[in-house]
Amino acid sequence: MAIHSILCIEDDRFIGEMYIRSLQKAGYTVDWVVDGNDGLIAARNQPYDLILLDVMLPERRGTEILDALRGGSEDLIPNTKVIVLTNFEQDDESRMAMQKHADAYLIKAEITPKKLIEVIEQLASN
Amino acid sequence: MAIDGNQRAPIRNFMPQLRRDVAWRIILFQFIVSGLIAVTLILSSVLSVESILLWTIVGVSFVISLFFEFSLAFYVARPTKDLMAALTHVAGEPTTTTPPNPNDSRFIKNGFSDALQTIYELAGHESDGSSIKTTESSDKEIPVVPSTDSVKAALNNTTCGFVVLNHERKVIYHNKAAPIRVDTDNVESLELIFSGVDTIDSWLNECEQNSVHAEHIWTRIPNRMPDADDRRFFDVIASYDKGSDNETVLTLVDRTNLYDIGEQELDFIAFAAHELRGPITVIRGYLDVLQDELNAVLEPDQRELFHRLTVSANRLSGYINNILNTSKYDRRHLKVHLAEDNIADIYDVIRDDMQLRADSQGRILSVNFPADLPTIAADRASISEVLGNLIDNAIKYSNEGGAINVTASVKGNFVEVSVEDFGIGMPGNVVSNLFQKFYRSHRSRETVAGTGIGLYISKGIIESHGGTIGVRSEEGKGSTFTAALPIYSTVADKLISGDNNNEGLIEHGNGWIKNHSMYRG
Repeated sequence: MAIHSILCIEDDRFIGEMYIRSLQKAGYTVDWVVDGNDGLIAARNQPYDLILLDVMLPERRGTEILDALRGGSEDLIPNTKVIVLTNFEQDDESRMAMQKHADAYLIKAEITPKKLIEVIEQLASN
Repeated sequence: MAIDGNQRAPIRNFMPQLRRDVAWRIILFQFIVSGLIAVTLILSSVLSVESILLWTIVGVSFVISLFFEFSLAFYVARPTKDLMAALTHVAGEPTTTTPPNPNDSRFIKNGFSDALQTIYELAGHESDGSSIKTTESSDKEIPVVPSTDSVKAALNNTTCGFVVLNHERKVIYHNKAAPIRVDTDNVESLELIFSGVDTIDSWLNECEQNSVHAEHIWTRIPNRMPDADDRRFFDVIASYDKGSDNETVLTLVDRTNLYDIGEQELDFIAFAAHELRGPITVIRGYLDVLQDELNAVLEPDQRELFHRLTVSANRLSGYINNILNTSKYDRRHLKVHLAEDNIADIYDVIRDDMQLRADSQGRILSVNFPADLPTIAADRASISEVLGNLIDNAIKYSNEGGAINVTASVKGNFVEVSVEDFGIGMPGNVVSNLFQKFYRSHRSRETVAGTGIGLYISKGIIESHGGTIGVRSEEGKGSTFTAALPIYSTVADKLISGDNNNEGLIEHGNGWIKNHSMYRG
């Protein structure tokens, strides 16, 4: 599955701009929203190829967004990949619950933009 | 029972006494019989007193008869012995023997198991009689015992939980403070989350097989998941009494005040890590971006400065992981999720970072993993953290231009990874303390920066995998750290049955311990 369009849900301005800059340079089309409510609306309104999802978000947590999109009986975004990107140490249960519905779960501090693009390319080739 | 005050001879003394009595009677009897045989043979002139044959016959018949009589006595006395062992046990006398098991195939075959079962059941009823939770019968006999209602009311006023389970493990009594869950069919069950293999069910299974009376204590058992409302922690004391109506009695001491502080501290560390990781993400990310974008215009020495920035930022993020994991490990929350993996792939996660780190510090890092190594059971993030720590140490404690060799080989059921340096090494007395928390050798405290938790958490992680970590070192010559991890095929069965958690994998003494079951987030 080729990946072209990306939705980035990230509330930290520095981190958000960093991802946008690198992803756009690498040729992706990126939309960026900073709060959880807008993130969920954007994800439901437009069929993105990939969503980069933060966990600690204002208005609505990443866990809730993922749950709303994929937690029900029907997968609302069947053609979209999801990468959870967080710096928060979740407890085991919450992390496992997110991993179940996501295509990757990464700690932001461990991932540079270059590595993120590698992960995206790998997801696209699977 | 043993609790009464009468000076009685212990029951356990009976069998040895009986054995002595029977033994000397058999021997005496045999002397008489052999004497009679000899006298008869001499008087009937079959053999003379001087005849060697006579004494041979008497001697041999003495020995053979003695043997058969002792065997017979042993066989006849055996049920008595088992009965006395059972009695000794239910009387609560100190004994080193295990109580005879009614489910033993020998007893089932000869029909003795019912007798044993009866003894155990009678013992169970008797202890009911002495308990204060009795109903009508004891009300008549012992009027001083408080009525059931007032006892129940009193128990409901305590902050300790009491739960009684019958032999089907159904809750037949609980007081107010006990953590009890009621399902939609109105069935009550214990609301406790035991971690690892040491659960109440596994303990009861073991009791049913091997015990008549047993006690067990669990500490720090939560009733709900983290973040749930009204989460409490209990120390649980269980008494098991085979055959009794109240087969298992649980006493639960609410220790939330004590243990919750630890949980809050963990929360604090998790939040602090989140705050620290934010800026590190930005620093690492923009360094990455800038290095790419400026590559064409940078002078070699400026490029080297960028490398140093990158290496430092990377190390910072490694330390945060060490701190987080140490905090979880100390609270028994570190949980590793083991999967089939191979060491070269795990190393690939940190390869670039390590290479850069070695280059910028002027060390020659060579990593050679044989291609035919078997796969191991590993949590990739944790093991890469351990490898990072070991290589980081090798860099710290060696000299400019020094070689660091990383390799792996098969040792029995393990793949052993070794990190060898030719640096300053350590004397023996340092080696023995090396894996302790915050330990730093006197000399390294003065000359080398560090926190002293890297090796501590590395040991914790490797042992959570069921492996071992070790070091060989010679002062002035260098050190070799080794980490042995189980080959996947040797533990695959255990992992599949345990949902890929490390529980059940850590062998300690005679049993499995699970106190490293940590929640890795």
